[in-house]
Amino acid sequence: MSEYSIIGKPTRNVDGPAKVSGEAIYTFDMVLPNMLYGKLLRSPYPHAKIISIDTSEAEKLQGVKAVITGKDTPGGKYGLWRRFPELCDQTALAMDKVRFIGDPVAAVAAVTAEIAERALDLINVEYEILPAVFEPLEAIKDDAPLLHDDISNNINITRHVEWGDVDEAFKNSDYVREDRFIYGSQATASTEVHNSLASYDKGTGRLTVWSSTQSPYYLQLGLADALKMREGDIRVIKPHVGGGFGGKNSTMPDSVNAALLSMKTGMPVKIVYNREEEFTCTEHRTAMNLAVKMGFKKDGTIMAKEFKLITDGGAYTALGPTALYLTGTYATFPYNIPSYRYDGVRTYNNKMWSTSVRSFGATEAQYATEIQLDRAAHDLGISPIEIRRKNAMTPGYEAPGQYKVGSCGLLECIDKVEKRIKEKWTDLSKDEGVGFTTFAYMCGGIFNWIDTPYAFSGAMIKVNIDGTVDLFTQASDIGQGTNTVNVMICAEELGIGIEDIRLHPADTATTPVDLGAWASRETMMNGNAVKDAARNVKEKLIEIARMKLGENIVYDLEAKNKRIYLAIRPERGFSYYDIVKDAIKLNDGEPIIGVGHYTPHRKGMVSPAWAFGSMAVRVKVDREIGHVEVKDVIVAHDCGQPINPLGVRGQVEGSVHLGLGWGLCEEQPTDNGMVLNPSFADYKIIRTRDMPQIELHEVLTHEPEGPFGAKESAEGAVGPTAPAIANAIFHITGAEFSSNTLKPEKVWRAIREAEEKAKKPAKR
Amino acid sequence: MKKQLKFIVNGNPYDIWIEPRLLLVQVLRDELRLTGTHRGCDSGTCCVCTVNIDGKAVKSCSVLALQANGKEVLTIEGMANGPKLHPVQEAFVDNWAFQCGFCTSGQIMASNALLKENPNPTREEVQHAMDGHLCRCTGYNMINEAIRDAAGRLQAQKSEEKAK
Amino acid sequence: MANINYRCPCCRKISPDTHDLARHYLGQTDKKHKDWLKTKGLSYAQLITWQVTEFGNKGYEALAKVLEKEATKVEI
Ligand code: FES
Ligand code: FES
Ligand SMILES: [Zn+2]
Repeated sequence: MSEYSIIGKPTRNVDGPAKVSGEAIYTFDMVLPNMLYGKLLRSPYPHAKIISIDTSEAEKLQGVKAVITGKDTPGGKYGLWRRFPELCDQTALAMDKVRFIGDPVAAVAAVTAEIAERALDLINVEYEILPAVFEPLEAIKDDAPLLHDDISNNINITRHVEWGDVDEAFKNSDYVREDRFIYGSQATASTEVHNSLASYDKGTGRLTVWSSTQSPYYLQLGLADALKMREGDIRVIKPHVGGGFGGKNSTMPDSVNAALLSMKTGMPVKIVYNREEEFTCTEHRTAMNLAVKMGFKKDGTIMAKEFKLITDGGAYTALGPTALYLTGTYATFPYNIPSYRYDGVRTYNNKMWSTSVRSFGATEAQYATEIQLDRAAHDLGISPIEIRRKNAMTPGYEAPGQYKVGSCGLLECIDKVEKRIKEKWTDLSKDEGVGFTTFAYMCGGIFNWIDTPYAFSGAMIKVNIDGTVDLFTQASDIGQGTNTVNVMICAEELGIGIEDIRLHPADTATTPVDLGAWASRETMMNGNAVKDAARNVKEKLIEIARMKLGENIVYDLEAKNKRIYLAIRPERGFSYYDIVKDAIKLNDGEPIIGVGHYTPHRKGMVSPAWAFGSMAVRVKVDREIGHVEVKDVIVAHDCGQPINPLGVRGQVEGSVHLGLGWGLCEEQPTDNGMVLNPSFADYKIIRTRDMPQIELHEVLTHEPEGPFGAKESAEGAVGPTAPAIANAIFHITGAEFSSNTLKPEKVWRAIREAEEKAKKPAKR
Repeated sequence: MKKQLKFIVNGNPYDIWIEPRLLLVQVLRDELRLTGTHRGCDSGTCCVCTVNIDGKAVKSCSVLALQANGKEVLTIEGMANGPKLHPVQEAFVDNWAFQCGFCTSGQIMASNALLKENPNPTREEVQHAMDGHLCRCTGYNMINEAIRDAAGRLQAQKSEEKAK
Repeated sequence: MANINYRCPCCRKISPDTHDLARHYLGQTDKKHKDWLKTKGLSYAQLITWQVTEFGNKGYEALAKVLEKEATKVEI
């Protein structure tokens, strides 16, 4: 196979110069002439009926241009699980009742943000307070208050998966253990808050919305459903986005209400959340309650696994069911589980709803799996590395009826990290421990709960007379570097340079549908679509070149390094630029257009491919105060063929950072449905002084399904981080954890408990 | 009652009348339309809004615009030399020291101030100086490397200038 | 030879065994399925809670027992 000229080479971010010079425009920076500022009035109660809303005083305030309540909206229901109408449970504004503290009840547009804010105070809402429920298992009870009239027991969704003879396998196990875990939620905390700007065209009745979103298409669908408009009459543009992390997949009240207010006033309207709204009223990681049982042979071979899961859904659906689904799937990764039983339920309750946050499902499942595995290894007298090696997935692995693994470099990753631990961490003090974990992550989802009739991803290319290329894709670069990846893929396939390509990203009016940036899907799905479109163009050019060469059809032509030539005799060929000119001239001046698309087929139900990896952390524990310091991290990572090693490293670094946060300091305590720490002062995010260095090794594999063999790299490394820390602490202190956020107090307590236990005679 | 504000921003003199309650970040973004300076919080806790005032890193959301009266403000828009990026900016691009880029202006402005004070900082010194800067994307290490790379570039530039 | 199958009392679903039918049944969230359970003295909440908090298939087994008696048997 020929060497790549672009793929795999460290490449500067195509948005780099704009982003380092303040020229990159985010929705947050946009102002249109005649623009109004919108604000949302939110419910102060977790559960209440709206008796009446009086907006007359607010309307009288000078500078206020419109006030709307649920009655002024078309009342369209929307959600991300569009296949199931009963799961489309959101409306632009509360229609008859509010379901969490922060549920929007009215929206105001005014000439300044300050006036809009003042107008909110003048709106009078009469509520009848209803009993509220906050705990998932309370919400399920027959006498619990119902959030949605038509949904009994507040059951949002249930799920059951089973393969093999689980009960028999447990019987045949030499060692069986059960563990229970409880997780809190995690804020996405993007630096750019949720915000949208909507502009309604009075002449055509069409709407344009700029929004800080991860999926312009999902937003377009959400708006169409909410406003009862045609998709095609709504244009969503995603400017640069200041981070998403899973919290910007849903259609949120900022965009719907900006649209409604613009339609009412005929003026552009912008709604920007403040940081407190961001913490209290945007989507966060799903809190969970789970029970895990695993059976082993004496030698550490896994025989069976059972996984029971209750997720804390909050008031609405969003991507919450996907979190439920994926957690149950990831509980089987990345190991060979011959028999498996999973039950999960997501219930509604009176809190802000939970959804996807970076590496959702995997982070939660792996914490339990990896901790349980180390406890089992300890009891069985096997090393943590050996037990993982023994059970590791290998290429071609299949989970019956669920998913298929293509390429898999897990064993190589385990070997690599093991080798580096031995070489590097030779000087551990008695307060230092090593935690070892493995991980896997999907490359986009195969499921189509959004119910799109389109391919999951598309791309379009226009080639100009001078050989420059315009590339149109809806892929959402939210910082992960997708724009650069797509340009690289297009350049490699066409055999041209990055400087030849101008990218036109993420505008629903000009680009074919892509489902957006979630589940690490862009490189796999949009990358394949871009490659397909480029191949489409290349074929047209090759046809012209072949004609000019007058060569027999059996000889292959290649496009590379800006030339198109005979593969077996590279000197026989033409400049790419000349062929483009000929192609256009010979075709009556018609521009060269290429189209491409991608939808996974025959790859099971979950994902077309899986990335793998292994991680070790070196942790120092202060036994006296419970402080945990992560001193060093080693990661070996199989993301197939890395497209841009710089971008891959950035993704792994960022993933570990988020994993450290979930593992050590991030949490969102609530009291009667109220989030108690809605600011950066109170919500602790890992800052630079607490960030360890990460030694990253790429283990190359070739994924047949991926563009140029590539797989995911954006999320996988979140999951293994927290359990690696917990395992390291376990190994040196015996402390066992059943939850995340290992703050000093929790660690201190667990160490004391372990010490107590050690004093008592052993029973096991 | 509006008050007069005379200051220099990115080398350009401004003489404007503003509401005294306005924060510097509001004047930069809303009045001067220099939107490269972002805002990540309402409580002075993220450093996303950092600019330089008389060469020092300052959170522009934590000072009143009038406090910049008579001073020189440098924002991200003033870093490049015409079409040529500043060495710190170049280093950020070469080291993939940003992802979403929303915190980046603040990170670069703080780096600029830091490198003036300490032209050759260690990893720990950079961590110390930049600790208030929140970044949700990068995990900071690549920013740290970019800053130290920039230090080298600035020194090379200086010795080049001397040689001339 | 004809096989005995079971029809869900609340919809058209036909399953080869009552365990499978119980799985189907607890996956439905509409009122009809839930209300029928009540008439048989079972609580949807209880069955789901068993199923998601205890190891094994306790929820399904309890429901399967009832379905064994109550579901219409069809020969296929
Ligand atoms: S905007 Fe957060 S510190 Fe200024
Ligand atoms: S690059 Fe996104 S917050 Fe720093
Ligand atoms: Zn049924």
